[in-house]
Amino acid sequence: MALQNFDMNYGAQFGSLWPSIRIGLLSEQKYGALVNNFSHVGRISQDLRSLNAVDFVYESQKAALHVPWDSPVEQVRSEETAPEETRNEQLSVEKTQTPPLLSTSISPNIKCYTFSRGNISRFPPSRPDTSGILGYYLLDAASLLPVLVLNVQPGDLVLDLCAAPGGKTLALLQTGCCRQLAANDISASRVSRLRKVLDSYVPKAVGSNVRLTSWDGRNWGELERDTYNRVLVDVPCTTDRHSVMEEDNNIFHRLRMKERQMLPMLQMQLLLAGLLAAQPGGEVVYSTCSLSQLQNECVVERAVELAEIQFNISVHVEDLSYFRSVFQDTFSFFKDCRLGELVLPHLTANFGPMYFCKLRREQ
Amino acid sequence: AVHLVLAVQQRHANIESSELEKVLDSFSNMGFSNAQIMELFSLQPKFAPEMRLMVVCELILLGLDPDSTLMVLQRSPEVLRMTAQQLRHRADCLRKLGLGEGNLQRVLRRYPTIFTLPWKKIDAVVRMFKTCLFPVAQVTEILQSCPNVLLEEPQDLEYKFQYAYFRMGIDHRVMVKSGLFRMSLAELKNRHIFLERLGLYQTPDKKGQTQIVNPKLKEIIRVSQKDFLAKMAHSSLEEFEVFRKLLAREEEEDQARVSEETDSDSDGEEERSEIE
Ligand SMILES: C[S@@+](CC[C@H](N)C(=O)[O-])C[C@H]1O[C@@H](n2cnc3c(N)ncnc32)[C@H](O)[C@@H]1O
Repeated sequence: MALQNFDMNYGAQFGSLWPSIRIGLLSEQKYGALVNNFSHVGRISQDLRSLNAVDFVYESQKAALHVPWDSPVEQVRSEETAPEETRNEQLSVEKTQTPPLLSTSISPNIKCYTFSRGNISRFPPSRPDTSGILGYYLLDAASLLPVLVLNVQPGDLVLDLCAAPGGKTLALLQTGCCRQLAANDISASRVSRLRKVLDSYVPKAVGSNVRLTSWDGRNWGELERDTYNRVLVDVPCTTDRHSVMEEDNNIFHRLRMKERQMLPMLQMQLLLAGLLAAQPGGEVVYSTCSLSQLQNECVVERAVELAEIQFNISVHVEDLSYFRSVFQDTFSFFKDCRLGELVLPHLTANFGPMYFCKLRREQ
Repeated sequence: AVHLVLAVQQRHANIESSELEKVLDSFSNMGFSNAQIMELFSLQPKFAPEMRLMVVCELILLGLDPDSTLMVLQRSPEVLRMTAQQLRHRADCLRKLGLGEGNLQRVLRRYPTIFTLPWKKIDAVVRMFKTCLFPVAQVTEILQSCPNVLLEEPQDLEYKFQYAYFRMGIDHRVMVKSGLFRMSLAELKNRHIFLERLGLYQTPDKKGQTQIVNPKLKEIIRVSQKDFLAKMAHSSLEEFEVFRKLLAREEEEDQARVSEETDSDSDGEEERSEIE
């Protein structure tokens, strides 16, 4: 069902790239192990390293900065002007475009282990430690990118508008930066799953900073306007990978046609609500796990337009090409997104699809 | 000199020196060099020279030259244990299957063990092809172009046939013409499923129709891997290699699941962390 639809739409959208994306979607995806900072980080990291996995967040930033791991940040800053043969042209151009260090524009404290390109090993399920807390959470490593790009800063008020089952919520908490985290999902049953995830990964004290709700995210503009420093809008979508692999609960089923057709509208309303919930100057990340331009760039464009027209809010869409270059060793990115970035499934790095776009509400 | 060395070697075989000489002469007459004769005698040294001579004679009569004869015996010394009659009989039977002159020598050279296999085994392969509804002429063609099938297990061959027939929608004639049975099943699956997931191959529906034009079987299997990737799949070696590994694991796990389901009632459901 889904595949036929994809062959038609994505065949046209991606042209000669489509076959290689297609075979990625139809073959086993790769996972990442998000290290739980509330557990025994050292031991967990060591265990994961002994499997030959590497922390891609750390590796990417190290590669981006071309400096030894333990150099203090200040030193890096002073070195930046020094000429360096190893630094390629592209990177140095980007560095001048993004004056704050890359490491400060990426959410800190997130560690996620993955197997290198072409390595198809799997992670064993995580086991609870003595206090019953799990050491890592397995997820599509690409789904961390929206969280990384959201760039939560210490003391931020953060809203996760569509949070269940909670992979990204958990990653947001790993930053240790959220003063308050509001995690919402319209589905009560999924929120209870989210609660279970939090119970098995974060201590009570941290959990008490999380407010779980089960409201319709579209109403956030009325509920809490101009409130948050950071908003994550990880919308429901056609879940492309799931849709080609699983028969049951498939959004491409005939009976769910209406729902599917309404998705872009729902996504747009959710993003708009997210923009309204952000403080002026606040940052919003929109994400989907679909390849569809209609659900990605088009939704962003429409939401930005409507924010301007209906609410007189001007929104800046950030250029994320520097971000892409930092992570391109781990993920296979689509080079031609009009807005935002898209991780394409690829046999050698079979993550995604994951689209993310960062928007800033102007003052 | 050859005589002397061999005489010493063969002493325990209780052979008269004059007899040994006769045997050696015969070998020379058939065109074997001294070095080749030494080689011949080094195979299964306990064997009596006359037996050796008989088998070699028979092989020469089957049309092999001394070089090939030696090669065959080196590759399957067990041929030496056959009687001339057995050899002749096997040759006759193979001729009846369509492996006539030319073919017979090829088979002997490339797959000498076909001469020592129990006939039951060969018969089973031939019968399997017939049960799969290959007409006799096509069976002959298969044996001529891929004599290696005689060394394979009939059920493996049948599975390969069914795979090509049902999964790939290929008819008998095309299988034969394209040399399907020359490729291993694993490699056939690798290439076919690779194309299928790329969206370049479809299993025909009940009416034999597809929405895309499938590439010809020949173009899939009769090309080098490099050409297959460059011209057919338009894909990289890196991707293909990862794919092979993934597919092998998928198949292994399918198999494990199937046997688990038949062994016990446990539902082999995997525990997996949640992803969105
Ligand atoms: C892609 S999933 C979110 C995955 C999650 N962020 C994670 O990383 O684990 C989309 C979620 O949106 C929720 N949803 C759908 N419509 C919604 C709405 N109107 N308001 C809030 N949540 C909604 C769905 O229940 C679903 O759990």
